[in-house]
Amino acid sequence: MTDANTPAIACQNLWQVFGQGADKALTDALSRSGNDADQAAADLREHGFIPAVQDANFEVKEGELFVIMGLSGSGKSTLIRCISQLLPGTGGEIRVDGENVIGASKKALTELRRKKLGMVFQHFGLFPHMTVAENVAYPLRVQGVGKKERLARAQEVISLVGLEGREDSFPRQLSGGQRQRVGIARSLAVNPDIWFLDEPFSALDPLIRRQLQDEFLRIQATLKKSIVFITHDIQEALKLADRIAIMRDGKIVQIGTPTDIVLRPVDDYVREFSKDVAKGQHAKVASVMRDESERGPDDPGLTTSMTLDAALAHCMELYEPVPVRDENGNIVGTVHPSDLAAALQVEET
Amino acid sequence: MTAVADIPAQPVSRLTIGAKAALITVIVGAICLALEGVAPWLVKWPTTWELPATQWVGAFLDWFLNGIKPAMRLFSDLMAYPMNWANFVLGNTPWPILIGLVTALGWFLGGLPMAALGFFGLCFVLASGYWAESMNTLALVAVSVPVALIVGGAIGILANEVPRVKSFVQAVLDVMQTVPTFAYLTPLLLLFGFGPVVGLIASAIYAAPPMARNVMLGLERVEPEIKEAAIMSGGTRFQQLFQVEIPAAATQIMVGVNQCLMAALSMVIIAAVIGGFNDIGWEVLLTMRKAQFGESLMAGLVIVVFAVVIDRMSGTLATERKRYDQRVVWAVLGFTVLFTAAFWAWLPNPSELTLLDPMAEAVDSGLTAFTQANGPWLDALKNNSLFYVLLPLRIGLDQAVLPFTWGFQWTAGMSFGLFAAGAVVAALMAWRGHLTGGLVVLILIGMLETGISNLPWPFVLTGAAALSYAAGGWRLAALSVGLLCTILVSGLWERALLSLYLSGAAVFSCAAAGGLIGLASAVWSPVWKVVRPVCDMLQTIPLFVFLIPVLMVFQIGEFSAFLAICAYAIVPMIRYTRHGLVNTPEEMMEAAISSGATEWQIMRDVRAPYAAPTILLGLNQTILYAFAMLVIAALIGTTGLGQSIYLALGQADVGLGISAGAAMAILALVADRIVQGFAEEQRKALGL
Repeated sequence: MTDANTPAIACQNLWQVFGQGADKALTDALSRSGNDADQAAADLREHGFIPAVQDANFEVKEGELFVIMGLSGSGKSTLIRCISQLLPGTGGEIRVDGENVIGASKKALTELRRKKLGMVFQHFGLFPHMTVAENVAYPLRVQGVGKKERLARAQEVISLVGLEGREDSFPRQLSGGQRQRVGIARSLAVNPDIWFLDEPFSALDPLIRRQLQDEFLRIQATLKKSIVFITHDIQEALKLADRIAIMRDGKIVQIGTPTDIVLRPVDDYVREFSKDVAKGQHAKVASVMRDESERGPDDPGLTTSMTLDAALAHCMELYEPVPVRDENGNIVGTVHPSDLAAALQVEET
Repeated sequence: MTAVADIPAQPVSRLTIGAKAALITVIVGAICLALEGVAPWLVKWPTTWELPATQWVGAFLDWFLNGIKPAMRLFSDLMAYPMNWANFVLGNTPWPILIGLVTALGWFLGGLPMAALGFFGLCFVLASGYWAESMNTLALVAVSVPVALIVGGAIGILANEVPRVKSFVQAVLDVMQTVPTFAYLTPLLLLFGFGPVVGLIASAIYAAPPMARNVMLGLERVEPEIKEAAIMSGGTRFQQLFQVEIPAAATQIMVGVNQCLMAALSMVIIAAVIGGFNDIGWEVLLTMRKAQFGESLMAGLVIVVFAVVIDRMSGTLATERKRYDQRVVWAVLGFTVLFTAAFWAWLPNPSELTLLDPMAEAVDSGLTAFTQANGPWLDALKNNSLFYVLLPLRIGLDQAVLPFTWGFQWTAGMSFGLFAAGAVVAALMAWRGHLTGGLVVLILIGMLETGISNLPWPFVLTGAAALSYAAGGWRLAALSVGLLCTILVSGLWERALLSLYLSGAAVFSCAAAGGLIGLASAVWSPVWKVVRPVCDMLQTIPLFVFLIPVLMVFQIGEFSAFLAICAYAIVPMIRYTRHGLVNTPEEMMEAAISSGATEWQIMRDVRAPYAAPTILLGLNQTILYAFAMLVIAALIGTTGLGQSIYLALGQADVGLGISAGAAMAILALVADRIVQGFAEEQRKALGL
């Protein structure tokens, strides 16, 4: 069923519309507009419906960390709830490991959640009447795993998130950061293939947030889950993502790598986000590399994965094209120092 | 983002909704007064126009109740088993063991304070000599509460699971809250006959709604992310509900358990009126009828002790619990068993204990001495309140002012003068820009002159409609008029007005006094330190017990009923007023202080407006409380619907009982909706 080419998640023409009789309204609106998403959405709004997710199309590859970013009200939380089927989805297709989950039976969904899905919530969603260990073991408990076995597994994930010694505490006795560690541990208890994180770090202090982001990257480096990660923080998105989808008013306006988003925003809305970002810290040399072989005499030692800031520091005094090497030390292209400077220029609007 | 929607055009007329409503009411009232001589039907709804609704209701209910009677009789026979069993167990358990159990339970729930409360509470009961009666009452509660908890919990869960049922259940619960307690009893009486089972079932019915309400509320308030986490963990609906949602809602559900217990106890005692069988409620009633107030007070105190013990102990369930050393529990139990075994032969029969009899006698004689010594003063208080306040409110100045009481005879000229003065005041106020206020003054003067029980029906209907319209628009106005019209045509109108008068007077007094006490408690915390335990106490005491002290001092009559109602209904007004005033956001206070406002200006301009919606909710509760107490107060002499319900109970007249109960519920419901409408409007205006 799962082969290397099947994306972990694939959304096609996914719609989530709120309002009485939304299913029919969506079909009507689409047929009236000739399947034009923007027109259909405007049509739905006019009739008092709320198209919270409009015609979303994207794929999440195996082991990819896919970030959905947008401001509050942009539909990102709705979108992740569609994919995890906490909301039914009004139209379109969601394929998880190749199987359409929209319209799947309750039993099939429960089974899917028990085996393949894990989710972390913004406000943690911990069960107040259970200890840390019981919270973490709960997804195993509902499957009927024996107490000893499930607590042993819980202990493993609790160590993974660094909460040893707090197993018998209740959620109310923990700090915000610790609570979210419990949330993360619980979502990993069944060792799911697909991991949903709904603004997991937004409710935390900046310092704790950074700490948890780093640990999250560490965990992901070993577990290699397929991840859908929601955030409203561009810095966080750029730091974590393999690819980012930017949402606005229910529409995905751009999907791309962090470098794409920073250097090649498709419109003013996306540009507005990347404006505050220190581009040099996120964009990589590869993004301005040319496929030329004419170079100057100097070789400051640039590599493809170097950030623009680092590269610029190496080329401060240079004006002629320089070579770029890959991880193995082979020269793969050329960078013009002027391109570096130009890419870093903040556009004035 | 789309542009902001167009702002609707302002109405052209300069009159506000309130002014328009008041103006129409004034005009209708004036017409009715002017045409009184020509068309008396405009004032008093003619008897010939009345429909025999009461009989119809009675006939229908008789038919219906007879239909389900066999099933219900079977049910009551079944219920008799657990009840007899509980009676047997509680009645035959040696008293030291019961005291030990309650003390141990108190320790387990709340440590030393609760253990002490349980111990001394039960010791008081033991010393009073009402041990056997108390155990009978307790047996009723012990059987009715589990029934109420299961039924209420099931209804709450059902409403939560099936959204379509939810609004229906909510509506039924709302109505059940407003239907007076005695009204339940009449049909039950028909179904089950006299006896303790009626009390059992009545108390189960009465105690189930708070449980259902709190279960619904608790489940609704579980954080959505917790529910989602349960779904994402792969739980089935059953697992989600019972492993996550219900435990997560435990605190709120425990509030329900507490309210359920208190309601059951309250109703078990009220039910003594019909099914008296040697329980503590019956004892109160009996001694009250025999005017043995000392003993009646003693029995009343026993009830209060039970109420306090049950309330405080079950209240700890709803707060975060500490873990108390369980060894103490075992130690206490062990000690009591040893004690009982060792002193078995010497244990006194609790019924023969008369330790507190001297106290009862002292109270009796002290009371007699007190009323004799202060007789003139108390009589003056009672008579002045009756003749100069209550009576004019009831039948109007034109009838209440007699040479016998006021020293002169009311004349048409005086009426004219009063109205003229009112018109001048109203005109002055209108000129200063307070047109609505002026019109309201005119309306109030009209009501005072005519008397509430003599108000022309078109005026009452228009007034209710106008108020409803101002509070909640056309739909509420239609609802109010529709409901009130059913009372009008069913021939209960006059009694309804009488009830309206007494509860109105009580609500008005409670609003004024309670508001002031609440204000004082808010600005000066020592006052609250005194007022708070009094409020706690008044809210814990079962309704019935309020009658004892007022009876002791003022005997049977309307004034006593009025006082009993006030004592019970004033609490929410105090609480909500204080709560609203105290909870002004800190930032708003700081903003006002830094603007240089004085204490008084802050109170008037910041705190009072901010508290207004909360205070209105308090008023709303006060109204509902007053109606609830009105029926109980019928036991000691009120006229109106309460009396009808009580009479119906005595004659087993289901039609009258249910109709009068429904009329009472309608009055309460209409008042409730109007006040809530105003509160909602205030909240919206403040953007809350």
